[in-house]
Amino acid sequence: MAKARAIIKRRKSVQNIRKITRTMELIATARFKKAFDRATEAEAYTRKIAEIVADLGATGASISHPLLAVREPVKTERMLILTSNRGLAGGYNGNVLRAATLAYQSAATDGINVTFDIVGKRGITYAKFRGLKPESTYTTFEDRPQFAEVEVLANQYIQLYTSGQIDRLEVAYTRFISSSRQEATVQTLLPMTASQVGESTARHRTGTATKETPTRHGERVPYEFLPDAESILEEIVPVSFKVRLFKCFLDAAVSEQISRMVAMRGATENADEMVKSLTMLYNRARQAQITRELAEIIGGAAALK
Amino acid sequence: MSTVSDRLQCVVVTPERTLFDQPVDFVALPLYDGELGVAPGRAPLIGRLGFGEMRTNVGGVTHRYFLDGGFAQVRENVVTVLTNRAIPAEQIDPAAAAAELERAKAQPAPTEAEQAAKMRAVERARAQVHIASKRG
Repeated sequence: MAKARAIIKRRKSVQNIRKITRTMELIATARFKKAFDRATEAEAYTRKIAEIVADLGATGASISHPLLAVREPVKTERMLILTSNRGLAGGYNGNVLRAATLAYQSAATDGINVTFDIVGKRGITYAKFRGLKPESTYTTFEDRPQFAEVEVLANQYIQLYTSGQIDRLEVAYTRFISSSRQEATVQTLLPMTASQVGESTARHRTGTATKETPTRHGERVPYEFLPDAESILEEIVPVSFKVRLFKCFLDAAVSEQISRMVAMRGATENADEMVKSLTMLYNRARQAQITRELAEIIGGAAALK
Repeated sequence: MSTVSDRLQCVVVTPERTLFDQPVDFVALPLYDGELGVAPGRAPLIGRLGFGEMRTNVGGVTHRYFLDGGFAQVRENVVTVLTNRAIPAEQIDPAAAAAELERAKAQPAPTEAEQAAKMRAVERARAQVHIASKRG
């Protein structure tokens, strides 16, 4: 029975692993729902900002702000890489890091001095492996990034950019397109363009948006501006940047959970398959053993005659 | 709209979520240069907010919130407040706010930009202390 026993042992361990991956899948699903709800809730703000910017733009006010100033040539660049703290999320971290590395290489050939900020343990380990020295690292962002935390980071970048220490800010993260499609991208957040300020980051076409649509287009609302349209616009630019950065974090959090969910579902399915084939193998081994024993008995009985 | 024209819909939105969305009788907003009261039927307005206290009045009951800057939009009896943080007045810790004010005041600010940042921090902390002390 030696071989059959070994197979049973293996089957048992595969079953245990299946239990773990199945649980992880369920946890990731629950976290994904939460992260997704947060991301959806956060959109009310950007939608409103976009609306106000559109209203302000209709007055013909032009924006000028240090964060919109494009500096040529770009000499220094800061790249913020958003990865996860935990692994077992399929290609999630690998894709982001690959995209970041490609962007880094092309920037380096253009003679740009690139420095890094890395979020997530996975990215930090990768940087260590590649021998890169990140300026600062963060491991506090979990699946629920807080605006207050992101704001601190955003203020830092605003300060760095306006003081001329960096000419460009790139963020490498996984963009959430739909629940079946996420894409690792490198996005330039600074300098911002005037159109980005008023861009709504909404991606889910929810029914809540229709509440205001009847009056949004067509007639212009005769607003009173306090203090005046231009200075409000100026004030909106940094807010818009912070929200865009926050959205990157939210997207990354949602995408991470989706990747983990998909990876763990795959792992569970594979474990199922393996259990099935191991069961078959075991049955065969057992049958072979019975047949062999029968043959021995019959052979023995025949010899006695 | 005729049924709700005598009431304001007050919506407070932070980057994380919609905090507050309900009909009120009156809203007082902390604009950058002083307080602005909004009653039903107010002409459309977009304004910059400062650090300060927002009051809403629903059927004679007043609720107070601390607003951390942002913008306000008034249109068709809908008051939309966009702010980084909105904290109900009763949740502000007076001791923590006072400590924050001391810390902000003690901050050295040699450059112009830092001076401006310090002013903001002090103003912000002062508004919190003010709101916290008014409770009672």
